Parts: sequence; C-alpha cells; structure tokens
Amino acid sequence: MKYWPTRVVSILAGLGACFLISAAADASGNDYTKRLVVLAGVWVILSVSLNLINGITGQFSIGHAAFWQVGAYSAGIISVQHYANSGITGLPWLLLMMVAGAIFAALAGLVVGLPSLRLRGDYLAIVTLGFGEIIRIIVQNQKPLGEAYGMNVSPKFQFTWLVWLTAFAAIAICRNLLKSAHGLPFLAVREDEVAASAMGVNVTRVKVTAFLIGSALAGVAGALFAHYEGFISPQQFRMEQSFIILTMVVLGGTGSITGSVLAAVALFYLPEKLRDMGPVTGGQLLAGTFATVLAVYLVKRVIDHFHGTKKEAAIRHLGIVLGCMALSFVLSIVLNQVPVLASARYEAEKLRMVIFSGVLIILMLVRPQGLLGHAEFSWEWLKRVLGQRRSEAAQTS
Amino acid sequence: MDLGTAFAAGLQLDFANLPQQLVNGILLGSIYALIALGYTMVYGVLRLINFAHGEVFMLGAYMALFVSWWLGYSPTATTLGQSSWVNLLMMLVASMVVCAIIGMLIELFAYRPMRSQPRIASLITAIGVSLMLQYAGALFLPNSPPQPIREEINPYRNEVLQIPLKPRDTTFIEKIKVEEAEFNAAEAAVKARMETEGVKSEFDLSPEGRLLRETRNDERNDVTNMKSEYERSGVSLLIPYGQLIMFVTALALMLILRHIVMNTKPGRAMRAVSLDFDSASLMGVNVNRIVTLTFAIGSALAGAGAMMSATFLGLSLTTFFGVQPGVKAFVAAVLGGIGNIPGAVLGGLLMGVAETLVVWSGYGDYKDAIAFVILIAVLLFRPGGLLGSSKVEKV
Repeated sequence: MKYWPTRVVSILAGLGACFLISAAADASGNDYTKRLVVLAGVWVILSVSLNLINGITGQFSIGHAAFWQVGAYSAGIISVQHYANSGITGLPWLLLMMVAGAIFAALAGLVVGLPSLRLRGDYLAIVTLGFGEIIRIIVQNQKPLGEAYGMNVSPKFQFTWLVWLTAFAAIAICRNLLKSAHGLPFLAVREDEVAASAMGVNVTRVKVTAFLIGSALAGVAGALFAHYEGFISPQQFRMEQSFIILTMVVLGGTGSITGSVLAAVALFYLPEKLRDMGPVTGGQLLAGTFATVLAVYLVKRVIDHFHGTKKEAAIRHLGIVLGCMALSFVLSIVLNQVPVLASARYEAEKLRMVIFSGVLIILMLVRPQGLLGHAEFSWEWLKRVLGQRRSEAAQTS
Repeated sequence: MDLGTAFAAGLQLDFANLPQQLVNGILLGSIYALIALGYTMVYGVLRLINFAHGEVFMLGAYMALFVSWWLGYSPTATTLGQSSWVNLLMMLVASMVVCAIIGMLIELFAYRPMRSQPRIASLITAIGVSLMLQYAGALFLPNSPPQPIREEINPYRNEVLQIPLKPRDTTFIEKIKVEEAEFNAAEAAVKARMETEGVKSEFDLSPEGRLLRETRNDERNDVTNMKSEYERSGVSLLIPYGQLIMFVTALALMLILRHIVMNTKPGRAMRAVSLDFDSASLMGVNVNRIVTLTFAIGSALAGAGAMMSATFLGLSLTTFFGVQPGVKAFVAAVLGGIGNIPGAVLGGLLMGVAETLVVWSGYGDYKDAIAFVILIAVLLFRPGGLLGSSKVEKV
C-alpha cells in the first residue's frame, strides 16, 4: 500500500472515530454515559502509556497511578490558584494545563527512571510501587492539596472529544515510535539489554525516554481527569488503580498497543456491568469459581500436551470454555438448592478486584504473552482478512 | 537561618524518650525480621519476590483470631475465663501450621507451573495471587469492622517489665515537699475564707477570694510540674511482657531456623539449591521438595509473626493487614541483602528502628514512606544490601 494515502486515511479515521465517540456520548444526553465514555478514554491513555514502559521497553513498572496522580494534582493546583488571574479562558487554558501535567509527571518519571536504571525487573517493580506510595503519602499530608479529603478543581472543562483526541494522539505517538527507527532500540532493550548495548544502543537513554514519554502521557490523562471530574482525592490513585492499569496492559498483550486499548475499554466497562448485575448467590460464586478452575486446568492441558494444528487447538479451547460455562450454569442451579449457599449474597461489584487478579493469574498460566501477544491492528491485516472473506465468498458462489 | 537549623527547629525531639523508642523499634523489628526471612529464603532458592507473602501473614493473623474465638474469646463473649500461656501456644502453632500449608499450596498451584516461564511472568502471578487473597478474603473473612483479637487472651497484658536506666534525681523529693507544703497552706487559706465568709461553693467573686484561689492554683501547678520534672529526671524502659515474649519467641524461631539451615540435611540441600538451582538438581537434590520446604518454613515464620503482632500489639485485622508489614519486611530483606538469612534479621531490626525513629521525630504521617526511601537508597548505593555481596548480575 502507498505510504501517504495510508497515513491520511489513518489520521482521518482516528479523527472521525474520536468525534463520532464524542457525538455519540453527547447524543445520549445522559451525564452518566458521557462520564463513562470520558473515563474510558482516560484509561486508554493510561494503559497505552504504561504499555510503552512495560510492553515496548520491557521495564516492569507497577506504580503508574503515581504519574497520573502527579499530573492530576499539579494541573489541579495550578488551575485553582492561577486560573482567575491568568486571563486565559476555555480550551487554551486546558491545553496549557495538559502540558503542565505532562511536564510535572515527566519530572516524576525522571526521578523514578534515573535510579531504576541500575535495577533488574523485580526490583524496579518494587521501587515503582514504593514511589507510587510515597507520592500518595506526600499528597495526603499537604494542606493546599486538601490532604486526605481531596480537593476541588475549578473550573471544570468537560470536552469529551479532547479526551479521546488525546487518547488517539497517545496511540499515534506509541505506534509511530514503534514503527520508526527511533523505536527499534526500545524493542531491542526489551528483548535483551546486554545484546542491545553491545549493538550500540544507549540503554540508559532508551529507558529514561520510555519513562519520560510514558509518565508524561499519564500526566496528561491526570490533567484531563482532574478538570473533567472537578474533584480529586488520594483515594482515586490508590495502589489498586496501578494494578488495574497493569492488568489492562498484561491482558492486552505486553507490547501490543491494540491490545492495550481493547483491554482498557473492556476492563473499564466490566465493573460497570458488574454494578448492574446485582448480588450473586453463594451457589453461583462457587459454581463459577469451580468452572473457571476446571477450564484453566483443561486449557492448560491442551496447550501442554496437544500437538494438532492451530485450528484444532482453537476448537478444543472453545469447546472447553463453552462446556465449562454450561457446567457452571448447571452447577449453580444445583448448588443453589443448598439453603446456605442460596441465601449467601455477594455484591457483584465487590468481585471486581477478584476478577482482575484472577485474570492476571489465569493469563500467566495459560497465555503469558497476553491475548494479542505482539500483534497489532494494521490496514494490511484488515485487507488480508477482508480479502480472505471475499475470496471465500467467491469460492462458495 | 540555614536549612539545618530550620529542620531542627521543626523537630520536637525528646531525647529522654529515645532509648524507649529504640527498644520499641527492635521489638517491632523482630516481627519484620520474621517476615523478611520468608522473602529472603524464597528469593534465595527461586529468585522470585513472593508478593503473596504479606497475604500469608494476613491469613496467619486471621487463623490466630479464629483460634482465639474457638477458645472462648469471641467478641460477643461476656464472661471470660482466666487465660493461660497454653492458649497463646495453641494460637501460635495453629497460625504457623496453617500458614505453612497455605504457602505450600501457593507454590504448588501458582508458582510451580510458572517456573519455565520468564521471571516477569512469575512476578505477575505473584501480584495476582496477592491481590486475589486480599480481595477474595475480603468477601469471606470478617473484615469490616476490623477485628481485633481480644486482649484478654493475653494473660500477661497488665505486666510490664521496667528497667531503670538512670535513677531519678533525689534532690527533687525535698523540693516537692516544699511545694506541697506551700500548696497545703494556700488550700487551707481558701478553706478558711470560705468558712469565715460562709460561702458554700468556690464561686467567690470578691478580689480577696479570687486572689487566694489563684495563689492556690499556682501552687498546685508548681507541684505537678515539679513531680513531672522529677519523673523525667530518671529514665527507665517499659516493656510489656507480651512484647517481651514476642521478641524472645522470634529470637528462638530464628535460632531454630539457623539450626535447620546450617546443621540438617534438608538445610544443606536448601543452601545448595540457593547457590545453583540446576547443579543442585543434578547432584541428586529433590529440588521440588526443597522449594516446598522453603515455602513451608518461610510461611510458618510469617504465621508466627502474624499471631504475635496481632495478639501482643493489639492490631485490628482487615484483609489488607499484610500489605504494609509485607512491603516493609521486603525492604528489610533487601536492606540486609536479599537471599542472606542473617541479613534479613539485621534488616528487619533496622527497619523497625527506622520506623519508630520517624514517628519519634514527629513525622508519624510519613512512617509508611520511610520503607521506600530506605529501599531506594539501598538500591542506589549498595544494591547487594548490607550483608550481601554486591556483584553485578551478568546474563
């Protein structure tokens, strides 16, 4: 395919999708739906930016919410203190705040990135986790930042399109980095640091750059989040949130931007679905757990011991999953005959983190590279799929 | 004013209280040391940070809580029998056994299948297991309101060991007597005036009455000031018996661990595995059994620490009970040199002291942050830890 037409089509498709999402959110006329759409965009930015650090550069950072928090609080406090006498209003101010959030978060990224250069994967994980906690504790003890109670951010700016435009920009930044010569060192560092440095890659610079870009994007997400919500508190940036972002990246496939985006949207909407679901009985919970464990065991067996074609294996996986779903349904009815289990009620919403952690464990057991692995969406892929479909249709007719 | 003096001016340092705080730090540190041993042993044999170790600790504390309920010390019980050390021992053993079993199960089902995968996959699994135990535990365990173990289960709760460090200044005794005499005189004057004037209450608004009352109050303040000064002139350490038992038990467990690791056959195998996993298995060491044993011992130590901290420090239990101690103990393990058993003990004690010192210096809000500050400092300046070898790992 030609280079420039593809680029133009991609950019137009991105812009179109972004304004379509915004228009759809506005058309719903429902503040709740609109908020969900905006937050989904924020999570996409977070997930894509963590993917740059974790997936593409292979630096295992698990404190991403800290950069998000730095962005949110720095933009928030500047807005509160200087908006009135700045003389800038509306969109330009928000753009300025996004830049401010990015700068402060990038500084924080630099602070974490520099010492962590000397650390191997698991130590880096702990340091980033610790850094996240330090940030949260510091914020909690600052009077101007509202301590543990949180602080009001005024004025509020609620541009749905801007959030999604930023999300698309984040995707574009990562994608272009990955596809250009500037991105190859990142991949080299992920695959083998020693070999990369032997090939003349400046490992230090690559790691710091990844941390800078990743945390700056998270800072932008923070600025957008703070100005959309109008209220931020340390509770919104707990360790839990870092783990959720991590789950998104790991689920989507470490290194796959497409995967990160899809997983971010899916995992963001999951709790909302759970909220609608209402309480679960003890029988259902037990049956679901049992069926999940059984399915994981069987799928793992197929992966380890089955040596057929990909298609045959996929059919087996599908069969196991469907079979276990059916089993869980039947089992839940049977188990609900037991009065103790039938009367026990668990709020589905509280299962959220249990499901997230379960996803992490199951994924590592069954498919450690994540759902999409390193695969990416591309126009070639779309063409190939459509082409196959067309040729199949031609054959049948 | 330079920064140093500004910093010192902001601090309200009470140096008379310092020895007590150091002792408290060491007592607390003994718990961190117990947990850190689990981290360091698992890291030694598998090169894996067992993120779920803090949750094993949490489950151990819950086990102690359930045993205390079973022994009749449930929150609803009104008539409580006299407790004895047997109860405490039962709680300790139950926590250790249950934690050992949980540790082995986690290793068997979560970590063993991951052993052929890259290390990051094991690490993500460990994080997953940790979160799963926290949040699934929150569904089933008594979680809110936070459950404390009733302090009545501790038969030694009212006994305190007092070690005088510096005797009190006896010259104060005379001074107090003088002040007391002055106070008595002032008090008598007030009483006398009340009788002569026939006022029932002390609300005597005449200038003379007010003057007398004020003198009396001043004298009373002098007496209390003098008494507290007298008390502060001597320094003595106060250690509750429970915490002393905690410390001694922790020490005993560490000595037993040392004996197991240094003088028994499985201990030798454990050291061999930690030196070189593959070679050990070639030399006929049943590596899987040794890894299981390592998890069992490390988790049992965490269980002991959990039972003792929940009982003797009077902490309330939630399913997030293990997060902070877990992280701090991990930092302790890194501080001492991860993989190094004496290092874990040293690191744990230092960690406890560091934490109490932060609280002592008036920055109690930041006591959870100090662990990470120490961690980052250690990793920057001495990545191998205090007792570890700081060789760069080559691929």
